[in-house]
Amino acid sequence: MDYSQFVKAIHENNKKELDKQSIVITRVLIKFLRVRLNASQEDSEDCVQNTLLFVIEKIKEEKLHNPDSIIYYLFTTAKNEYFKLRAKNKESNYDEIPDSHAKEPDQLKNILSKERQEVLNRCLAKLKPDYFEYISHWFKHPGDEAVVVASHFNISVNNAWTKKHRILQILKECVQKNINL
Amino acid sequence: MEHDQKLILRKKIDSYVKGQLSEVEIQELWNEIAKDVSLLDDLELEVGVKELLAGNASSSKKKATLHTLPNWAWHSAAAAVIILVALLQLFRTPTPTELSQFVLNDISPDQIETSDALRSSTMNVSSADSLLNLGFQAAYNGNNKKALELFDKVIETYAQEPYGSKAYLNRGIILYNNGDYENAIVSFKEAISRVVENRMLTEKAQWFLANAYINTNELELALNAVGEAYMQNGVFRTQAFRLYQKLNYDLGKVDYENFEEQTEN
Repeated sequence: MDYSQFVKAIHENNKKELDKQSIVITRVLIKFLRVRLNASQEDSEDCVQNTLLFVIEKIKEEKLHNPDSIIYYLFTTAKNEYFKLRAKNKESNYDEIPDSHAKEPDQLKNILSKERQEVLNRCLAKLKPDYFEYISHWFKHPGDEAVVVASHFNISVNNAWTKKHRILQILKECVQKNINL
Repeated sequence: MEHDQKLILRKKIDSYVKGQLSEVEIQELWNEIAKDVSLLDDLELEVGVKELLAGNASSSKKKATLHTLPNWAWHSAAAAVIILVALLQLFRTPTPTELSQFVLNDISPDQIETSDALRSSTMNVSSADSLLNLGFQAAYNGNNKKALELFDKVIETYAQEPYGSKAYLNRGIILYNNGDYENAIVSFKEAISRVVENRMLTEKAQWFLANAYINTNELELALNAVGEAYMQNGVFRTQAFRLYQKLNYDLGKVDYENFEEQTEN
Protein backbone atom coordinates (compact mmCIF):
# COMPACT_ATOMS: atom_id res chain seq x y z
CA MET A 1 0.00 0.00 0.00
CA ASP A 2 1.59 3.23 -1.17
CA TYR A 3 0.17 6.07 0.91
CA SER A 4 1.83 8.73 -1.23
CA GLN A 5 -0.41 7.49 -4.09
CA PHE A 6 -3.39 7.79 -1.77
CA VAL A 7 -2.48 11.41 -0.90
CA LYS A 8 -1.79 12.20 -4.57
CA ALA A 9 -5.14 10.74 -5.65
CA ILE A 10 -6.95 12.94 -3.10
CA HIS A 11 -5.15 16.12 -4.15
CA GLU A 12 -5.63 15.38 -7.85
CA ASN A 13 -9.21 14.25 -7.28
CA ASN A 14 -8.38 11.00 -9.08
CA LYS A 15 -11.53 9.06 -8.23
CA LYS A 16 -10.47 5.80 -9.85
CA GLU A 17 -7.16 5.66 -7.97
CA LEU A 18 -8.81 6.82 -4.75
CA ASP A 19 -11.39 4.01 -4.96
CA LYS A 20 -8.64 1.48 -5.59
CA GLN A 21 -6.66 2.65 -2.54
CA SER A 22 -9.77 2.98 -0.37
CA ILE A 23 -10.74 -0.65 -0.96
CA VAL A 24 -7.41 -1.80 0.48
CA ILE A 25 -7.57 0.55 3.48
CA THR A 26 -11.17 -0.41 4.16
CA ARG A 27 -10.31 -4.10 4.22
CA VAL A 28 -7.48 -3.58 6.71
CA LEU A 29 -9.50 -1.34 8.99
CA ILE A 30 -12.53 -3.62 9.04
CA LYS A 31 -10.38 -6.60 9.99
CA PHE A 32 -8.62 -4.44 12.57
CA LEU A 33 -11.89 -3.51 14.30
CA ARG A 34 -13.24 -7.05 14.05
CA VAL A 35 -10.11 -8.53 15.62
CA ARG A 36 -8.94 -5.86 18.05
CA LEU A 37 -12.30 -4.62 19.32
CA ASN A 38 -14.50 -7.60 18.50
CA ALA A 39 -16.75 -5.30 16.47
CA SER A 40 -19.49 -6.75 14.30
CA GLN A 41 -19.07 -6.68 10.53
CA GLU A 42 -21.84 -4.07 10.14
CA ASP A 43 -20.48 -1.75 12.85
CA SER A 44 -16.98 -2.08 11.42
CA GLU A 45 -18.17 -1.14 7.94
CA ASP A 46 -19.99 1.95 9.26
CA CYS A 47 -17.03 3.09 11.34
CA VAL A 48 -14.52 2.57 8.54
CA GLN A 49 -16.65 4.53 6.11
CA ASN A 50 -16.69 7.51 8.49
CA THR A 51 -12.98 7.11 9.19
CA LEU A 52 -12.13 7.32 5.51
CA LEU A 53 -14.20 10.49 5.11
CA PHE A 54 -12.37 12.12 8.05
CA VAL A 55 -8.95 11.10 6.76
CA ILE A 56 -9.63 12.31 3.25
CA GLU A 57 -10.77 15.64 4.66
CA LYS A 58 -7.61 15.96 6.78
CA ILE A 59 -5.40 15.23 3.80
CA LYS A 60 -7.29 17.77 1.72
CA GLU A 61 -6.66 20.33 4.46
CA GLU A 62 -2.94 19.47 4.25
CA LYS A 63 -2.97 18.33 7.88
CA LEU A 64 -1.71 14.83 7.12
CA HIS A 65 1.24 14.06 4.88
CA ASN A 66 3.50 11.19 5.74
CA PRO A 67 2.42 7.53 5.68
CA ASP A 68 3.11 6.88 9.37
CA SER A 69 0.90 9.74 10.53
CA ILE A 70 -1.85 8.67 8.09
CA ILE A 71 -1.74 5.09 9.40
CA TYR A 72 -1.79 6.32 12.99
CA TYR A 73 -4.73 8.59 12.22
CA LEU A 74 -6.62 5.82 10.40
CA PHE A 75 -6.38 3.34 13.27
CA THR A 76 -7.05 5.92 15.99
CA THR A 77 -10.06 7.38 14.18
CA ALA A 78 -11.49 3.93 13.43
CA LYS A 79 -11.24 3.00 17.10
CA ASN A 80 -12.79 6.29 18.23
CA GLU A 81 -15.62 5.90 15.74
CA TYR A 82 -16.34 2.45 17.11
CA PHE A 83 -16.32 3.68 20.73
CA LYS A 84 -18.65 6.52 19.75
CA LEU A 85 -21.00 4.07 18.06
CA ARG A 86 -20.99 1.80 21.11
CA ALA A 87 -21.72 4.72 23.42
CA LYS A 88 -24.54 5.88 21.17
CA ASN A 89 -26.11 2.41 21.09
CA LYS A 90 -25.90 2.17 24.84
CA GLU A 91 -27.80 5.44 25.34
CA SER A 92 -30.79 3.99 23.54
CA ASN A 93 -30.60 0.66 25.37
CA TYR A 94 -31.12 1.22 29.09
CA ASP A 95 -31.19 -2.49 29.93
CA GLU A 96 -27.68 -3.11 28.80
CA ILE A 97 -25.16 -3.97 31.48
CA PRO A 98 -22.26 -1.49 31.50
CA ASP A 99 -19.01 -2.76 30.04
CA SER A 100 -16.14 -3.53 32.30
CA HIS A 101 -12.91 -1.72 31.60
CA ALA A 102 -11.00 -4.93 31.15
CA LYS A 103 -9.47 -5.23 27.70
CA GLU A 104 -10.73 -8.26 25.84
CA PRO A 105 -8.12 -10.37 24.11
CA ASP A 106 -7.92 -10.11 20.34
CA GLN A 107 -10.58 -12.12 18.56
CA LEU A 108 -8.37 -13.47 15.82
CA LYS A 109 -11.10 -15.84 14.68
CA ASN A 110 -13.04 -12.79 13.49
CA ILE A 111 -10.51 -12.37 10.74
CA LEU A 112 -11.76 -15.52 9.04
CA SER A 113 -14.44 -15.87 6.41
CA LYS A 114 -16.48 -19.03 6.13
CA GLU A 115 -15.93 -19.37 2.42
CA ARG A 116 -12.14 -19.06 2.67
CA GLN A 117 -12.04 -21.55 5.52
CA GLU A 118 -13.92 -24.14 3.48
CA VAL A 119 -11.47 -23.75 0.62
CA LEU A 120 -8.53 -23.80 3.02
CA ASN A 121 -9.81 -27.01 4.57
CA ARG A 122 -9.85 -28.67 1.15
CA CYS A 123 -6.34 -27.38 0.48
CA LEU A 124 -5.09 -28.73 3.80
CA ALA A 125 -6.47 -32.14 2.90
CA LYS A 126 -4.46 -32.07 -0.33
CA LEU A 127 -1.14 -31.38 1.41
CA LYS A 128 1.58 -34.00 1.20
CA PRO A 129 1.51 -36.14 4.39
CA ASP A 130 4.93 -34.96 5.60
CA TYR A 131 3.95 -31.31 5.07
CA PHE A 132 0.67 -31.92 6.90
CA GLU A 133 2.50 -33.56 9.79
CA TYR A 134 4.93 -30.67 9.96
CA ILE A 135 2.36 -27.87 9.96
CA SER A 136 0.14 -29.80 12.39
CA HIS A 137 3.06 -30.15 14.77
CA TRP A 138 3.83 -26.44 14.47
CA PHE A 139 0.32 -25.29 15.33
CA LYS A 140 -0.51 -27.98 17.86
CA HIS A 141 2.50 -27.08 20.00
CA PRO A 142 2.11 -23.30 20.21
CA GLY A 143 4.37 -23.13 23.25
CA ASP A 144 7.30 -24.60 21.37
CA GLU A 145 9.90 -22.30 19.95
CA ALA A 146 11.10 -22.84 16.40
CA VAL A 147 14.26 -24.33 17.86
CA VAL A 148 12.25 -27.11 19.50
CA VAL A 149 10.32 -27.83 16.30
CA ALA A 150 13.61 -27.84 14.39
CA SER A 151 15.07 -30.33 16.83
CA HIS A 152 11.95 -32.52 16.60
CA PHE A 153 12.26 -32.75 12.83
CA ASN A 154 16.06 -32.79 12.93
CA ILE A 155 16.50 -29.67 10.80
CA SER A 156 18.09 -26.28 11.41
CA VAL A 157 16.08 -23.41 12.91
CA ASN A 158 16.31 -21.44 9.68
CA ASN A 159 15.07 -24.42 7.72
CA ALA A 160 12.23 -24.83 10.20
CA TRP A 161 11.01 -21.31 9.42
CA THR A 162 11.57 -21.78 5.69
CA LYS A 163 9.64 -25.04 5.67
CA LYS A 164 6.75 -23.50 7.54
CA HIS A 165 6.67 -20.58 5.10
CA ARG A 166 6.83 -22.93 2.11
CA ILE A 167 3.85 -24.93 3.35
CA LEU A 168 1.84 -21.78 4.06
CA GLN A 169 2.74 -20.49 0.62
CA ILE A 170 1.40 -23.70 -0.97
CA LEU A 171 -1.81 -23.30 1.00
CA LYS A 172 -2.08 -19.62 0.08
CA GLU A 173 -1.71 -20.36 -3.61
CA CYS A 174 -4.19 -23.21 -3.37
CA VAL A 175 -6.76 -20.95 -1.68
CA GLN A 176 -6.25 -18.18 -4.23
CA LYS A 177 -6.65 -20.64 -7.08
CA ASN A 178 -9.83 -22.19 -5.71
CA ILE A 179 -11.58 -19.38 -3.91
CA ASN A 180 -13.81 -18.25 -6.76
CA LEU A 181 -14.25 -21.49 -8.62
CA MET B 1 17.39 -6.57 3.69
CA GLU B 2 13.77 -6.68 2.53
CA HIS B 3 13.86 -10.46 2.89
CA ASP B 4 15.07 -10.14 6.50
CA GLN B 5 12.31 -7.64 7.27
CA LYS B 6 9.73 -9.99 5.80
CA LEU B 7 11.07 -12.87 7.89
CA ILE B 8 10.85 -10.76 11.06
CA LEU B 9 7.25 -9.89 10.25
CA ARG B 10 6.39 -13.54 9.57
CA LYS B 11 7.80 -14.43 12.96
CA LYS B 12 5.72 -11.65 14.50
CA ILE B 13 2.60 -13.03 12.86
CA ASP B 14 3.46 -16.45 14.25
CA SER B 15 3.82 -14.96 17.73
CA TYR B 16 0.57 -13.01 17.33
CA VAL B 17 -1.36 -16.15 16.44
CA LYS B 18 0.20 -17.89 19.43
CA GLY B 19 -0.82 -15.02 21.72
CA GLN B 20 2.74 -14.02 22.50
CA LEU B 21 2.73 -10.34 21.50
CA SER B 22 2.21 -7.36 23.78
CA GLU B 23 -0.34 -4.65 23.03
CA VAL B 24 2.37 -2.37 21.65
CA GLU B 25 3.78 -5.10 19.43
CA ILE B 26 0.31 -5.96 18.16
CA GLN B 27 -0.31 -2.36 17.15
CA GLU B 28 3.11 -2.20 15.49
CA LEU B 29 2.21 -5.30 13.50
CA TRP B 30 -1.09 -3.78 12.41
CA ASN B 31 0.82 -0.69 11.28
CA GLU B 32 2.96 -2.96 9.12
CA ILE B 33 -0.17 -4.67 7.81
CA ALA B 34 -1.52 -1.26 6.81
CA LYS B 35 1.64 -0.74 4.75
CA ASP B 36 1.71 -4.21 3.21
CA VAL B 37 -1.70 -5.80 2.87
CA SER B 38 -0.25 -9.17 1.85
CA LEU B 39 0.57 -9.54 5.56
CA LEU B 40 -3.15 -9.52 6.28
CA ASP B 41 -3.50 -12.53 3.96
CA ASP B 42 -0.65 -14.22 5.81
CA LEU B 43 -2.27 -13.53 9.16
CA GLU B 44 -5.64 -14.77 7.94
CA LEU B 45 -4.06 -17.93 6.57
CA GLU B 46 -2.21 -18.72 9.79
CA VAL B 47 -5.28 -18.17 11.93
CA GLY B 48 -7.29 -20.28 9.49
CA VAL B 49 -4.85 -23.19 9.51
CA LYS B 50 -4.60 -23.08 13.28
CA GLU B 51 -8.38 -23.13 13.67
CA LEU B 52 -8.83 -25.99 11.22
CA LEU B 53 -6.12 -28.09 12.85
CA ALA B 54 -7.59 -27.44 16.28
CA GLY B 55 -10.98 -28.51 14.90
CA ASN B 56 -9.53 -31.67 13.39
CA ALA B 57 -7.88 -32.54 16.67
CA SER B 58 -11.06 -32.20 18.68
CA SER B 59 -13.24 -34.02 16.15
CA SER B 60 -10.76 -36.87 15.82
CA LYS B 61 -11.08 -37.67 19.51
CA LYS B 62 -13.61 -40.49 19.42
CA LYS B 63 -15.96 -40.74 22.31
CA ALA B 64 -15.79 -44.00 24.20
CA THR B 65 -18.88 -46.19 24.13
CA LEU B 66 -20.58 -46.33 27.52
CA HIS B 67 -21.93 -49.67 28.69
CA THR B 68 -24.14 -49.10 31.69
CA LEU B 69 -24.78 -51.68 34.37
CA PRO B 70 -28.19 -52.25 35.96
CA ASN B 71 -28.74 -50.70 39.41
CA TRP B 72 -28.72 -54.03 41.27
CA ALA B 73 -25.16 -54.65 40.06
CA TRP B 74 -23.98 -51.36 41.57
CA HIS B 75 -25.69 -52.11 44.89
CA SER B 76 -24.11 -55.57 45.07
CA ALA B 77 -20.69 -54.16 44.28
CA ALA B 78 -21.02 -51.49 46.97
CA ALA B 79 -22.06 -54.08 49.55
CA ALA B 80 -19.10 -56.31 48.63
CA VAL B 81 -16.67 -53.40 49.06
CA ILE B 82 -18.09 -52.54 52.49
CA ILE B 83 -17.72 -56.14 53.68
CA LEU B 84 -14.18 -56.33 52.33
CA VAL B 85 -13.15 -53.11 54.09
CA ALA B 86 -14.68 -54.30 57.36
CA LEU B 87 -12.78 -57.60 57.13
CA LEU B 88 -9.53 -55.84 56.36
CA GLN B 89 -9.97 -53.58 59.38
CA LEU B 90 -10.65 -56.62 61.58
CA PHE B 91 -7.50 -58.49 60.63
CA ARG B 92 -5.26 -55.46 60.21
CA THR B 93 -1.97 -55.41 62.08
CA PRO B 94 0.16 -52.27 62.12
CA THR B 95 3.27 -52.56 59.99
CA PRO B 96 6.33 -50.43 60.75
CA THR B 97 7.20 -47.90 58.12
CA GLU B 98 10.45 -48.17 56.20
CA LEU B 99 12.61 -45.20 55.27
CA SER B 100 12.50 -46.36 51.66
CA GLN B 101 8.75 -45.65 51.65
CA PHE B 102 9.52 -41.94 52.01
CA VAL B 103 12.22 -41.72 49.38
CA LEU B 104 11.83 -40.95 45.70
CA ASN B 105 12.63 -43.92 43.46
CA ASP B 106 13.16 -41.52 40.62
CA ILE B 107 12.41 -37.91 39.84
CA SER B 108 9.81 -37.09 37.23
CA PRO B 109 11.18 -35.25 34.15
CA ASP B 110 8.45 -32.68 34.84
CA GLN B 111 10.69 -31.36 37.59
CA ILE B 112 13.35 -30.34 35.08
CA GLU B 113 13.76 -26.59 34.89
CA THR B 114 13.20 -24.97 31.52
CA SER B 115 13.18 -21.36 30.34
CA ASP B 116 10.81 -19.04 32.18
CA ALA B 117 7.35 -19.83 30.83
CA LEU B 118 6.09 -16.27 31.04
CA ARG B 119 4.95 -15.10 27.66
CA SER B 120 6.10 -11.62 28.27
CA SER B 121 6.72 -9.34 25.39
CA THR B 122 9.94 -8.25 26.98
CA MET B 123 11.24 -11.77 27.44
CA ASN B 124 14.00 -12.64 25.05
CA VAL B 125 14.52 -16.32 24.57
CA SER B 126 18.26 -16.75 24.84
CA SER B 127 20.38 -19.60 23.60
CA ALA B 128 20.68 -20.78 27.19
CA ASP B 129 16.88 -20.93 27.45
CA SER B 130 16.72 -22.91 24.24
CA LEU B 131 19.37 -25.35 25.44
CA LEU B 132 17.47 -25.86 28.69
CA ASN B 133 14.29 -26.52 26.74
CA LEU B 134 16.04 -28.94 24.42
CA GLY B 135 17.52 -30.70 27.43
CA PHE B 136 14.06 -31.01 28.92
CA GLN B 137 12.75 -32.45 25.66
CA ALA B 138 15.61 -34.94 25.48
CA ALA B 139 15.08 -36.06 29.08
CA TYR B 140 11.35 -36.30 28.50
CA ASN B 141 12.00 -38.57 25.53
CA GLY B 142 14.29 -40.73 27.65
CA ASN B 143 17.48 -39.52 26.00
CA ASN B 144 19.36 -38.83 29.23
CA LYS B 145 22.76 -38.79 27.56
CA LYS B 146 21.79 -35.97 25.24
CA ALA B 147 20.04 -34.14 28.08
CA LEU B 148 23.22 -34.28 30.18
CA GLU B 149 25.28 -32.98 27.27
CA LEU B 150 22.90 -30.05 26.82
CA PHE B 151 22.86 -29.16 30.52
CA ASP B 152 26.66 -29.42 30.64
CA LYS B 153 26.81 -27.04 27.71
CA VAL B 154 24.68 -24.52 29.58
CA ILE B 155 27.00 -24.84 32.60
CA GLU B 156 30.11 -24.38 30.45
CA THR B 157 28.79 -21.47 28.40
CA TYR B 158 26.16 -19.67 30.47
CA ALA B 159 27.16 -20.03 34.09
CA GLN B 160 25.32 -16.85 35.11
CA GLU B 161 21.99 -16.96 36.90
CA PRO B 162 19.38 -18.31 36.53
CA TYR B 163 20.94 -20.67 34.00
CA GLY B 164 23.71 -22.10 36.19
CA SER B 165 21.43 -23.18 39.02
CA LYS B 166 18.80 -24.56 36.63
CA ALA B 167 21.34 -26.52 34.63
CA TYR B 168 22.93 -27.99 37.76
CA LEU B 169 19.54 -28.92 39.18
CA ASN B 170 18.58 -30.63 35.92
CA ARG B 171 21.93 -32.39 35.81
CA GLY B 172 21.31 -33.65 39.34
CA ILE B 173 17.88 -34.98 38.38
CA ILE B 174 19.29 -36.97 35.46
CA LEU B 175 22.13 -38.36 37.58
CA TYR B 176 19.70 -39.25 40.36
CA ASN B 177 17.56 -41.17 37.91
CA ASN B 178 20.70 -42.92 36.64
CA GLY B 179 21.43 -44.06 40.19
CA ASP B 180 24.58 -41.91 40.37
CA TYR B 181 23.68 -40.39 43.73
CA GLU B 182 27.18 -39.14 44.62
CA ASN B 183 27.38 -36.94 41.54
CA ALA B 184 23.71 -35.97 41.86
CA ILE B 185 24.56 -34.64 45.34
CA VAL B 186 27.41 -32.56 43.89
CA SER B 187 25.05 -31.08 41.28
CA PHE B 188 22.23 -30.32 43.72
CA LYS B 189 24.68 -28.64 46.11
CA GLU B 190 26.07 -26.59 43.23
CA ALA B 191 22.52 -25.52 42.25
CA ILE B 192 21.81 -24.47 45.85
CA SER B 193 25.03 -22.46 46.08
CA ARG B 194 24.26 -20.60 42.85
CA VAL B 195 20.55 -19.92 43.03
CA VAL B 196 19.54 -16.30 43.51
CA GLU B 197 16.09 -15.46 44.90
CA ASN B 198 14.27 -18.50 43.56
CA ARG B 199 12.45 -20.20 46.41
CA MET B 200 10.97 -22.88 44.21
CA LEU B 201 14.30 -23.95 42.79
CA THR B 202 15.89 -23.90 46.26
CA GLU B 203 13.11 -26.12 47.58
CA LYS B 204 13.45 -28.57 44.71
CA ALA B 205 17.23 -28.76 45.04
CA GLN B 206 17.10 -29.28 48.83
CA TRP B 207 14.36 -31.88 48.56
CA PHE B 208 16.15 -33.89 45.89
CA LEU B 209 19.44 -33.48 47.76
CA ALA B 210 17.85 -34.97 50.87
CA ASN B 211 16.62 -37.92 48.85
CA ALA B 212 20.04 -38.42 47.31
CA TYR B 213 21.67 -38.37 50.76
CA ILE B 214 19.34 -41.08 51.96
CA ASN B 215 20.37 -43.20 49.00
CA THR B 216 24.01 -42.78 50.04
CA ASN B 217 23.01 -43.46 53.64
CA GLU B 218 24.12 -40.05 54.90
CA LEU B 219 21.09 -39.58 57.08
CA GLU B 220 22.30 -36.62 59.17
CA LEU B 221 22.97 -34.64 55.99
CA ALA B 222 19.62 -35.76 54.61
CA LEU B 223 17.93 -34.46 57.75
CA ASN B 224 19.51 -31.04 57.29
CA ALA B 225 18.55 -30.87 53.62
CA VAL B 226 14.98 -32.00 54.19
CA GLY B 227 14.65 -29.43 56.97
CA GLU B 228 15.76 -26.75 54.51
CA ALA B 229 13.25 -28.01 51.92
CA TYR B 230 10.47 -27.95 54.52
CA MET B 231 11.32 -24.39 55.48
CA GLN B 232 10.77 -23.17 51.93
CA ASN B 233 7.08 -23.88 52.55
CA GLY B 234 6.42 -24.93 48.96
CA VAL B 235 4.97 -27.86 47.06
CA PHE B 236 7.14 -30.48 48.78
CA ARG B 237 6.27 -29.23 52.27
CA THR B 238 4.08 -32.18 53.31
CA GLN B 239 6.43 -34.83 51.91
CA ALA B 240 9.39 -33.05 53.48
CA PHE B 241 7.64 -32.94 56.86
CA ARG B 242 6.97 -36.68 56.82
CA LEU B 243 10.51 -37.49 55.80
CA TYR B 244 11.85 -35.09 58.43
CA GLN B 245 9.84 -36.85 61.13
CA LYS B 246 10.89 -40.26 59.89
CA LEU B 247 14.58 -39.33 59.82
CA ASN B 248 14.39 -37.85 63.30
CA TYR B 249 12.73 -41.01 64.51
CA ASP B 250 15.22 -43.33 62.83
CA LEU B 251 18.16 -41.29 64.06
CA GLY B 252 16.79 -41.58 67.58
CA LYS B 253 16.41 -37.85 67.96
CA VAL B 254 12.70 -37.87 68.80
CA ASP B 255 10.47 -40.55 70.24
CA TYR B 256 7.13 -39.60 68.83
CA GLU B 257 4.08 -41.21 70.22
CA ASN B 258 2.15 -42.98 67.51
CA PHE B 259 4.77 -41.95 65.00
CA GLU B 260 3.94 -44.86 62.73
CA GLU B 261 0.35 -43.68 62.56
CA GLN B 262 1.34 -40.10 61.91
CA THR B 263 3.46 -41.04 58.95
CA GLU B 264 1.24 -43.73 57.53
CA ASN B 265 -0.17 -41.77 54.62
